[in-house]
Amino acid sequence: MTLSRLTSRRKHELAGWLFLAPAIAYLLFAFALPIVYNLMLSFEQTSPATISSLTAPFAGLGNYRFILNDPTSRKAIANTFWFTVGSLAGQFLIGFALALLFSLRFPGRTLGRSLVIIPWLLPLIVTGVMFRFLFQLEGGAVNQVLTSSGIVHHGADWLDDPNLAFWTILVANIWLGVPFFTLLLYSALQDVPTEIKEAAIIDGASPWQRLRLVIVPIILPVIEVTLLLGFVFTVKVFDLVIGLTGGGPANATQLITTWSYNLSFQQFSFGEGAALNNVLLVLALVCSPIYLFLSRDSLRRSSGVNP
Amino acid sequence: MRVKRSRALRWLCTLAAAAALIFVLFPVYAIIVGSFESTNTLFSGTFYWLPHAATLDNYRTVVQAQSANVVTSLVVGLGTALLALVVAVPAGYALSKYRLRVTVVLVSSLLIAQIVPSIVLATSLFIVFHWINLVNSYLGLIIADGTYAVPFAILVLRAFLFSLPNELLYAARVDGATEWQSFRLIVIPLARSAMITVAVFAFLSGWGDFIFALTILNGSGIEPITLGIYTYLGNYSTDWGAVMAAGVFAMVPAGIVLVVAQRYIASGLTAGSVKG
Repeated sequence: MTLSRLTSRRKHELAGWLFLAPAIAYLLFAFALPIVYNLMLSFEQTSPATISSLTAPFAGLGNYRFILNDPTSRKAIANTFWFTVGSLAGQFLIGFALALLFSLRFPGRTLGRSLVIIPWLLPLIVTGVMFRFLFQLEGGAVNQVLTSSGIVHHGADWLDDPNLAFWTILVANIWLGVPFFTLLLYSALQDVPTEIKEAAIIDGASPWQRLRLVIVPIILPVIEVTLLLGFVFTVKVFDLVIGLTGGGPANATQLITTWSYNLSFQQFSFGEGAALNNVLLVLALVCSPIYLFLSRDSLRRSSGVNP
Repeated sequence: MRVKRSRALRWLCTLAAAAALIFVLFPVYAIIVGSFESTNTLFSGTFYWLPHAATLDNYRTVVQAQSANVVTSLVVGLGTALLALVVAVPAGYALSKYRLRVTVVLVSSLLIAQIVPSIVLATSLFIVFHWINLVNSYLGLIIADGTYAVPFAILVLRAFLFSLPNELLYAARVDGATEWQSFRLIVIPLARSAMITVAVFAFLSGWGDFIFALTILNGSGIEPITLGIYTYLGNYSTDWGAVMAAGVFAMVPAGIVLVVAQRYIASGLTAGSVKG
């Protein structure tokens, strides 16, 4: 009896492992292997000839030294920083405002809510192309609105002026990310208990006080996760910039991702590209402890059916 | 009086929402209008708010040149969805219903995997694929595109399967069902809505992928629509009409999802990122 129970438990555990096997194999091949290999590459002296041989001579810290001294890499790192800060600020403010708006009752709110997610569903390269069309110097809708309404006399060169191009990719990325913030914050607002909101009204709190003192504290965990995921998305942005500006003019919109692509796939300096990749990876992973902490309830959760 | 004022307020909200939606939808509208313009109009230096001398020329160009690419994108999207389901459904089940020591480690890895930027993976995968002959192959591209969808898919299914009553699984066991039978006959049928969410997401990510297509496929052989658009952008002159018509083609699945499967998107997004 004990023996058969033991074997059935062992069988159960084995089944669990078998169900996990494809996922573990996939994670090892598609994530662990490339990350480890990228680390190795970053210490190698690569050349176009070494691509087919999987390993190249050891280069020590040479690739990292290159990245730290390369003006374009430094520019790309700085751009990525400001791009992320600007995007998150814009996406959060607009997304939160829309989430609040859509949680009010008004005619057409359901339709509006479903249309607002469109930007988030489109292929990113299409979004890049779309904004390139809108922000053209001549024949672009943006310049046409600005000149015909008399705000400016001559259209601005949004894509080819180094002082403006960065703002263009920022606007495009905010447009792209707002739906995500709206959707997540909207669903958090729906979870705020009505009694609490009503109690605050009875206590005579103004709408601003209700928002600041009642609603925001309740949905704070969702705000944190949303900002965190927004950060992760923004640090990764690539397609959008390639479609819009290709990193130019004069590297004004060069991000870590686009410059890493350029180093590896256009200059075939895979070692230097890999070193820059690791800078990006560290930046992105800085927030992973926070993410794991915010997800701690889900991590521990289990509803097992062990025999 | 009060009723009147609140009604006015509601319409004010509608107005505000409409204004916001103009900003959200206008870029999409502009590319659709642009896709019907002739090359002459597009290079005339004026943007027309409604199609000016509408033509189907751009679509003719794109249908001729990009039909094969659309099929490629479909195959890649469907392949990514299949990969996500095959990997994620059993894994989501094991991570929610089995008490395994590896669960915490694995779920943490999945959360972190979502953070890893694609360019980091693309650089290495390109060389690794080169070595094992997966460059320029559907399989290689689908494996790479799975990196968008698989971690998310497992987390969504795990979150969803928590709500599956344990009693069902106990009952199956009492009736003598094997582990595999419980999975196939109970878990899979009941997880259908989460599986649709996951499949839709995975399809859209495979369909819309650009970075892996750009890096892992090097120009010969298969080319998805996203890469086709990029090629039209060109180095010297952009064929705007073709770019926009191809862009409209690339938006079609998003439009279908919006009409047909929107509730799966909204529910999946919240399940995967907040509660998962």
